[in-house]
Amino acid sequence: MLIINCPYCGPRDQSEFSNGGEAHVKRPDGSKEIGDSEWGEYVFIRANPKGLFYERWVHTHGCRKWFNCVRDTSTDEILVTYKLDEKKPNLNNFKSVVKTPSGEPEVGSGNFTVEK
Amino acid sequence: MKSINLKENQFIQFHQKISFKFDGVKYFGYKGDTIASALLRNNINLVGRSFKYHRPRGIYTCGIEEPNALVQIISEYSEPNTRATIKKIYEGMEIESQNRWPSLENDFGSINNLFSPIFTAGFYYKTFMGPHKKFWKNLYEPLIRRAAGLGKPPKDFKGISNHIHHNVDVTIIGGGLNGLLAAKSFINSNYDVLLIDFEEQLGGIINNSNKISLIDNKEPKDWLKETIQEIEDSKNIKILKNTLVTTYNYINHLIAIEDRFVGSKPIEGKVNSTLHKIRTGHTILCNGHIERFLSFQNNDLPGIMLSSSFEKYMCRYGLAPSKEPVIFSNNSNSNSLVYSLIKAGLKPKAYIDSRSGEEIEPNLFDLIRKNDVPLYTNSQIKGAFGNKKIEKILVEDSSGALNEIKCDCLCLSGGINPDVHLFTQSKGLLDWDEKDLTYKPSKPFQPTITLGSASGQFNFDNLNSDINEKLKTFKVKKLDVKLELNTNTKYNIEKLWEVSPQKKSLWAKSFIDLQNDVTTKDIRQAITEGFDRIEHLKRYTTNSMGTDQGKISSINALGIVSDLLDKRVNEVGTTIYRPPYAPLSFSAIAGRNCYEFYDPERKSPIHSWHLKNGAIFEDVGQWKRPWYFQINKDESMHDAVQRESKNVRENAGILDGSTLGKIEIKGEDALEFMNLIYTNSFTKMKQGSARYALMLGEDGMVKDDGIICKISDQHFIATTTTGGAATVLGCMEEYAQTEWPNLKVYMNSITEQYATFNISGPNTREIMKKAFPNINFSNEEFPFMTFQFHEFNGVPIRILRASFTGELGYEIYIPSNSAPKIWDNIQSLGKEFGLAPYGTEAMHLLRAEKGYIIVGQDTDGSITPIDLGLSWMIGKSKKDFLGKRSLTRSDTIREDRKQLVGIIPSNKVDKLEEGQHIILDKEIKSPVPMLGHITSCYYSSTLGHDFALAVIKNGHSMIGTKAYASTSSMSTTGVDIVKPVFYDEDNKRLVS
Ligand SMILES: [Zn+2]
Repeated sequence: MLIINCPYCGPRDQSEFSNGGEAHVKRPDGSKEIGDSEWGEYVFIRANPKGLFYERWVHTHGCRKWFNCVRDTSTDEILVTYKLDEKKPNLNNFKSVVKTPSGEPEVGSGNFTVEK
Repeated sequence: MKSINLKENQFIQFHQKISFKFDGVKYFGYKGDTIASALLRNNINLVGRSFKYHRPRGIYTCGIEEPNALVQIISEYSEPNTRATIKKIYEGMEIESQNRWPSLENDFGSINNLFSPIFTAGFYYKTFMGPHKKFWKNLYEPLIRRAAGLGKPPKDFKGISNHIHHNVDVTIIGGGLNGLLAAKSFINSNYDVLLIDFEEQLGGIINNSNKISLIDNKEPKDWLKETIQEIEDSKNIKILKNTLVTTYNYINHLIAIEDRFVGSKPIEGKVNSTLHKIRTGHTILCNGHIERFLSFQNNDLPGIMLSSSFEKYMCRYGLAPSKEPVIFSNNSNSNSLVYSLIKAGLKPKAYIDSRSGEEIEPNLFDLIRKNDVPLYTNSQIKGAFGNKKIEKILVEDSSGALNEIKCDCLCLSGGINPDVHLFTQSKGLLDWDEKDLTYKPSKPFQPTITLGSASGQFNFDNLNSDINEKLKTFKVKKLDVKLELNTNTKYNIEKLWEVSPQKKSLWAKSFIDLQNDVTTKDIRQAITEGFDRIEHLKRYTTNSMGTDQGKISSINALGIVSDLLDKRVNEVGTTIYRPPYAPLSFSAIAGRNCYEFYDPERKSPIHSWHLKNGAIFEDVGQWKRPWYFQINKDESMHDAVQRESKNVRENAGILDGSTLGKIEIKGEDALEFMNLIYTNSFTKMKQGSARYALMLGEDGMVKDDGIICKISDQHFIATTTTGGAATVLGCMEEYAQTEWPNLKVYMNSITEQYATFNISGPNTREIMKKAFPNINFSNEEFPFMTFQFHEFNGVPIRILRASFTGELGYEIYIPSNSAPKIWDNIQSLGKEFGLAPYGTEAMHLLRAEKGYIIVGQDTDGSITPIDLGLSWMIGKSKKDFLGKRSLTRSDTIREDRKQLVGIIPSNKVDKLEEGQHIILDKEIKSPVPMLGHITSCYYSSTLGHDFALAVIKNGHSMIGTKAYASTSSMSTTGVDIVKPVFYDEDNKRLVS
């Protein structure tokens, strides 16, 4: 289980939060003409990378505020959380701290016990 | 095996006898005994039958690694698969052996041993694809069900567990020599430290063996006492005993289970185990090592035991399981057993070592010579033999000659492995040590430190420097402990995994996994059949898949595989060690989140009235809602529902609608926000009026509905469905924060602050006049879909004229505290007008007669407002609202979408059912094209027949045509497709 640092309340147990999927997905402006593919992309398509990921969370059983974070999907580590109106951090800032069990492939489970 | 009690022992209270029953027979043990030590004291060697072949099995170890001695504790809710080697006995304990019938001594299933040539590797997989389907169903499955398995599941479970959370800087796992030394370093430091040990007494190897003779020039047990006292006195260290760490998760999150009733019977109603959830900065693994066994013919016979386990029984339980065991080893770890036996005035019947005389430690050599112990170097055991217990062994000596030795006990040592389970769970990587022939932790993935034998340090010479070096990142005291050993040796081992059998036979068995009955032959066969990847091999043979996870044998299997494949062990790799380290009961995981605490029960303010008035409840989300009211015990549900609904149509009914979600929306931009959230337009709506509204997902599908009351452009109150309240509020909050943060709007749930009474029926106006005499309920003053605020006896109330039944109706919103009184008042005033309560089932029937949908019953997340025939609710002039753009997607404008229609049986006496498929042909000939299905179906006494709502392809254009409903007996019922409204189509009653 994770400890998540709510930008409003501080570090709290994961059970207080709900995941809201990919962050920084812009909702198309309804006052303008929206093409089928643009709208379809927004409603149905989300990224699912292995590694660093911008993600939305909400402090459901706390302040009920939404916020963003950078999570390493291969280790579940949440590297930074930030408020919705804050600029998204550059992922290159985290490249050096990303740790995966050595020898783990780009894609796959990385279920190794011995160094490859 | 004839055991003897040794003289006084600090852990066993020889003056305190304890009686217990094993398979119905009464025995005695002593306070401090485990089931295993107590059984050994009573010379009971046969304690169970094996999983597949029902072979007789005994006690193999003295700890958590035990593969064989699993028992059922009858006196504890019949808890199965309990390790006899760790469970302590108490007065009156009842224990049964497992997997035998009719008795342990005479087990019918042992016939499987004769059939064993067919139960080979991949047996389960091969039988699944046997020659004929019937083979599995009629032969194999009954055979396997009957024969295989461990204990029986408990019938009844009343165990209670709780959860405790910890947040510490350092967690030390294992309170043996290294764990204690690590803890000693942290005494009175600025770190919060948790020291966890699985046993009741700290000390590990100090208690379990005679390896160490002096620590800091003190007797080990004196040093231990002093050190534990110092640690206990230190305010920053907390000790958890009887606590097993089972799980090492990401981000240094540990899970440990504490047994709260060690050596006593759990008291019913008291917490009997505690699950510790530990968040730690650093984890220090001092969880030691596990001895492994060796494979040779019949290495499973009762009377065979690991050598360090034998020594542990002597040191820890004051018991020598046998007076003269034979010892067979390939390494130096069993030296101390020889020392312990001789110290206790006993001696081994023979010492057999696969190593040559030069490799054997000189002091062991001296000890053996001085005491005239028969010594066989360069020798191997070819097999063990006996009926239900070991009687003799065959030894091949250095000259190749076979020697028969009679014995009642054989102690084995195949080497030792660091206990790497937790380390690999943490995602640390292992490396094979070619000299010590075992996997050792190499690269930690988390802030994990390993000390002592858990790190692969099998000698004690670097004790101080190793701990000081690994703890240097902490501001702690440096250690300088002086250690003297009884068997002053360096760990030395010669490669030996399996002894080749003396004669080959189909029935000869050399086991590699005792619990799952996997033989070395199975491993060979699996590799021959192509399962040469270690993870495949494990599944195919079920090697190390038992509850012990192959703790004493999985490394041996790797060794055998690497030899067979001629690969280095590192290339073969290990299978993943997965949590939990040892079985963890579901009740411990559930903690207090069970029974009444599993999910909160929500009750309306009128709940106690319902209880007194014959309400039968249904669960709607977490809410308890009256389903229907029984006027007497004999009234059936059907009769009650028909009576209640008829009364609403003819007189008046009252429904407790308090569970409906209520959300208050306020703020400068509330109007704009509401226009964005709901499909309807609220701009031109008058203050004081109400509107039925729909909420969509961004995919255009109906998500919820409700009535919106507009108090002003800056203030709205929305109702939601009972089950959808939290989702709707969550959705509003999400969009307010994430998409439209510029809008000044705030929302809050007021569901529990207000009770809601829905009164409807032709007599309602008269009742309302009587109940609230100061309010004018005329059509002119109080038209349909308007609301008014009033004060009634000092209580602020809101009355909304709306109806979900199709009759004249009002909804009264009252602060919850004042609601029961007003409810009672309306009940008594309404009597003369025939007012009666009705439940959710009658409400469903009444709304269906009007064709009003229930979101989640008539819709399923794939239905748009257009599909429901509710296009009029879409504010087409609005630029945007949730899901608007999706209503013109290629999929949502398709012609053949499923649309809401009404269904009545063509022959009025026919019955319909929810879930029936609507099809075009009378005859069912597969494949049958299905148009859709019935979503709601009731019998209506107003109509005099069944009627239904359904969603069917192209439904709107099919109105007026005929179709068929398929029945579960493969026949069909003729139906008419009609408009989805069955009663008062032009709403005369609604606005009357
Ligand atoms: Zn918060």
